[in-house]
Amino acid sequence: MRTENSQLLVRAIDVRKRFGETEVLCGVNLDVHRGEVLCIIGPSGSGKSTFLRCINQLEIYQEGKIFVNDELIGYKEAGGRLVPIGSRQVVLQRRRIGMVFQQFNLFWHMTVLENIIEAPIRVLGQSVAQARENAMRLLERVGLAAKADAYPMKLSGGQQQRAAIARALAMNPELMLFDEPTSALDPETTGEVLSVISELASTGMTMIIVTHEMGFARQVANRVVLMEEGQIRHEAPPDQFFGNQAPARLKAFLSTIH
Amino acid sequence: MDFDWAFFVERIVNPGAPYINALGRTVSMAVLAMFLGLLIGLVVGFGRLSRFGLIRSACGFYVWLIRGIPVLVLLVMLFSGMAAAGLFRFTDLEFAGLKLTASFQAAVIGLAIHEGAYMAEIVRNGIQSVARGQIEAARSLGMNPWLVTWRIVIPQATRVVMPPFGNDFNHMLKTTSLASVIGVPEIFQLTEAMSATTFKTFELLTVVALNYLVLTAIWNTIQGVIETRLRAHEIDRPVRSWWQSLVVYLTPSTNSSERRS
Repeated sequence: MRTENSQLLVRAIDVRKRFGETEVLCGVNLDVHRGEVLCIIGPSGSGKSTFLRCINQLEIYQEGKIFVNDELIGYKEAGGRLVPIGSRQVVLQRRRIGMVFQQFNLFWHMTVLENIIEAPIRVLGQSVAQARENAMRLLERVGLAAKADAYPMKLSGGQQQRAAIARALAMNPELMLFDEPTSALDPETTGEVLSVISELASTGMTMIIVTHEMGFARQVANRVVLMEEGQIRHEAPPDQFFGNQAPARLKAFLSTIH
Repeated sequence: MDFDWAFFVERIVNPGAPYINALGRTVSMAVLAMFLGLLIGLVVGFGRLSRFGLIRSACGFYVWLIRGIPVLVLLVMLFSGMAAAGLFRFTDLEFAGLKLTASFQAAVIGLAIHEGAYMAEIVRNGIQSVARGQIEAARSLGMNPWLVTWRIVIPQATRVVMPPFGNDFNHMLKTTSLASVIGVPEIFQLTEAMSATTFKTFELLTVVALNYLVLTAIWNTIQGVIETRLRAHEIDRPVRSWWQSLVVYLTPSTNSSERRS
């Protein structure tokens, strides 16, 4: 099953997801092009994070289709029906999708450097020397070279999140997912993480960012979408999205957080 | 009180070959039973969290059953009960030039079965203590279930498992004394035999009690060093080797983050 447009990196078609009785994704349709930076905003409980987690198969969607790089995520066609793929395929599909979490989730029993080289060595089969060299380059880029041998517990939240970004980048992803990357941070350290993400955006990395930082979304995104009650309610380039001609319901939401 | 100091000191200074052998049996029984118990505990502990209901119930049943049987009853059941019923009889084995007597085998297996049930609970708790986010992060990096278990879940669970594991091993060192009942010539059995011939009962029991105390004290230190190593991420001083770990353990810092355990 392949979509035609090679400029598309992510295509979601009528994606639905239920947790028990509650439907959290009620038909999400979204295209993300290569090199695009897409910010998703919306009230809590609107399904933003769940949608992101479905792309990376940390959650399983039940209806609809998600394609990444023309490949159907999570399912395969067998006898005219869609059946879930095996865990081996899941692992393969995840490899080129990086994810950054709200709670950083650095492995606390490893140093920053060990965190970064773990998957490149064990998953991609890189040599230790190669993985270390790459990791040091990435740490340089996020401004943490001096902390390579520190344990995560000894770092500030902002430093932990920058290390987590470096860890995701070490897998050389073609898509980066950010799940509220600054929501657990102090206002002072939020800026250092946002500037790392901005710098990454300027390199042409395709990114989907769930965020509550409107100023940041406005500055970094090519497109902003509003999610509400499990659906995408509005999408526009940032200047229109945050501009005066925005629809009333969007203005109402924006006024609640400003 | 009539305490024969000369006899007491003589027993400590010059315990004799039979006693040293008995001490070796005590320690090897404890180590072997703990090792096998750990293996059982890993299998049963992971089994209790299996996604297959049948495996979950089978492992739950094991823990429920074994924790309800006194070790002493279990040992006698394995050695004498099963033989009396004609179900199974332990026989002496030669293994790489080492003689393993029937009673020694029964003791190690009985203690391991007993320990396995407790260890299963410790292992289960350790696995469940690993934060969901750690596993999700590992998965998002493309690690397969085996790598996630081996590189993330087990090392992080070990940090939580080690203190109760150490506690159980401390207990095991002394529980081996029950093997005297099925005729394993370990230090307590030898003590009883000697007291029957010398009537120096109190002196001999004091010696054997001190002996167990020395064993647990040695283990205490080993456990402390292992735990220090596992807490490397919490400690300001570098703990990258066993030597550094020993130094940090023996020279506690006033820093509260190092003392927390």
